[in-house]
Amino acid sequence: MTTFVASLRYEFRMQVRKRTVWIVPALTLVLFVLIGGSLLRDLFDPGERPVDPRTAVVGLAVQLHALLSIGFGCLLADRLIRDDRLRVASILDATPASPRARLLGKYVGAGAATAIPVAVAYFGFAAAYAVDTGEPRALGWALAAFGAVFVPGLLFVAAFALAAPLVMPAPLFRVLFVGYWLWGNVVSPDMMPTLARTLVHPLGGYPLAALFDFHGIDGQEAWAGPIPGATLNALRPDPTPALAWLSIALLLIIAAAVLAGGHALRARRVR
Amino acid sequence: MRIEISGLTKTYRGGVAAIDGLDLAVPTGMFGLLGANGAGKTTLMRILAGIVRPTSGRVTVGEHDLGTGAGRTAVQRDLGYLPQDLGVYPDLTARQFLDYVALLKGMDDRTVRRRRVGELLEVVALTEHADRRLRGFSGGMRQRVGIAQALLADPQLLIVDEPTAGLDPEERIRFRTLLSQFAGRRTVLLSTHIVDDIGQTCREVAVLAKGRLIFRGTVEELTRRAQGQVWSVVTDGPAPTEGTVVSALPHDDGMRYRIVAPSAPSPGALPLEPGLEDGYLAVATGRGNASRQPASPPGRRP
Repeated sequence: MTTFVASLRYEFRMQVRKRTVWIVPALTLVLFVLIGGSLLRDLFDPGERPVDPRTAVVGLAVQLHALLSIGFGCLLADRLIRDDRLRVASILDATPASPRARLLGKYVGAGAATAIPVAVAYFGFAAAYAVDTGEPRALGWALAAFGAVFVPGLLFVAAFALAAPLVMPAPLFRVLFVGYWLWGNVVSPDMMPTLARTLVHPLGGYPLAALFDFHGIDGQEAWAGPIPGATLNALRPDPTPALAWLSIALLLIIAAAVLAGGHALRARRVR
Repeated sequence: MRIEISGLTKTYRGGVAAIDGLDLAVPTGMFGLLGANGAGKTTLMRILAGIVRPTSGRVTVGEHDLGTGAGRTAVQRDLGYLPQDLGVYPDLTARQFLDYVALLKGMDDRTVRRRRVGELLEVVALTEHADRRLRGFSGGMRQRVGIAQALLADPQLLIVDEPTAGLDPEERIRFRTLLSQFAGRRTVLLSTHIVDDIGQTCREVAVLAKGRLIFRGTVEELTRRAQGQVWSVVTDGPAPTEGTVVSALPHDDGMRYRIVAPSAPSPGALPLEPGLEDGYLAVATGRGNASRQPASPPGRRP
């Protein structure tokens, strides 16, 4: 436990001090607002914003998750490999501390630090919306959406961001990750195979549909379930609350497996 | 803490044998390890630090077998390790970095940990820089942070790989003295290219070449390996091709060469008393006299 807490504390401290951790999401938001920023602007326009505060803050979660997770993954891509790159790994490996606990502390600590600007942006907009509309319930929905949609998705992304650079250069991972994220979240699954609307969609389609009854800002979008003519429909059963929890569990299990794989690979290389 | 190594082999992927059937006993106290680049010193130290697993053979440190997970963890609890390629986190201060390593070494008590970190910052003369980020530290200052982290848990076994690299002469002498004082009833394994550091601190020494032990004995025995093989040659022509040139100094009549060679390298060569560096060179180049103690037990390769 000491190892996990020590690693978490210092990895958090080192990551949260990185200027890019704050600059990248801030620039992303500014650019997004400048080029349109739909919901981020509409939230404060009485004529345009959703009437239901739940729809408003869950929609905000979807938009910020899709947008800010790109930077989140890219910013974490050097965290595991940097111990070797900085030549600190030998010192750490020679301590009696469990390498697994160290890795877990790094994962949670660096991940949490990188998620702070994301959370600040999300809860900042949600709070401003709650004040603007006089709807304190919006903050409750925001908390729930952050826990059920953001957190599993970010944990999923963080695991790949830590482990994948062990088998490819970090810049290549960043390029592939951005490509995957746009492909998986922008391209329609009936045009080409994607993980969108599947149980393992990191944007949280099943929790959105089954736990928050979210069907887009206009109520016309489907976030989970089968798509006629699309591949991977076996991973797109009709959404239910049980499947929503299963979807969250699957994301976490995959994240754990990826981390375990990364740990085993590094241990094999060192030894 | 006595170290016993028997039949130790480490072969990396691609078939490169870094350690090749090594047998070595390291007693309590300061023990030197010499060898050229690629001799296997760093691999041996990484095995002893529990970082690298041997391909075969047995290593025990005290009563702990490094072949088991429990044994490695037990050794690491009593270990201080200063790697050759030392790195630090540039975004932490010296105090924070030491605190982090101390936590990983199991120093849970905050008061004890802070006191120890403060003491060691004092020992390595970094107190006034303790709260500066390591990013701005010079190579020598970083090396001193490395030395401090190795001593954190008051280790019974201290493994130091090229510890004086990057230190200025004064710091080097200070660190040598620190190591000698620290050793006492502990085991300190010192690997270095600076033969003088061994001569000033260690009573016993081992020399490795291509992963094998080619000498083990006292510093005096190593020095005697060059007895009758050290020559002074003064010439204004090219350096003698016979033997190994240890040093070359400008002289009124040209250059004065110190050469290790089995016989006089030129007609005017004068015999000299050997030093430790000469002994090392004699052994490393395979010209050393036969040892009174075999480097490896009978039946094994020398």
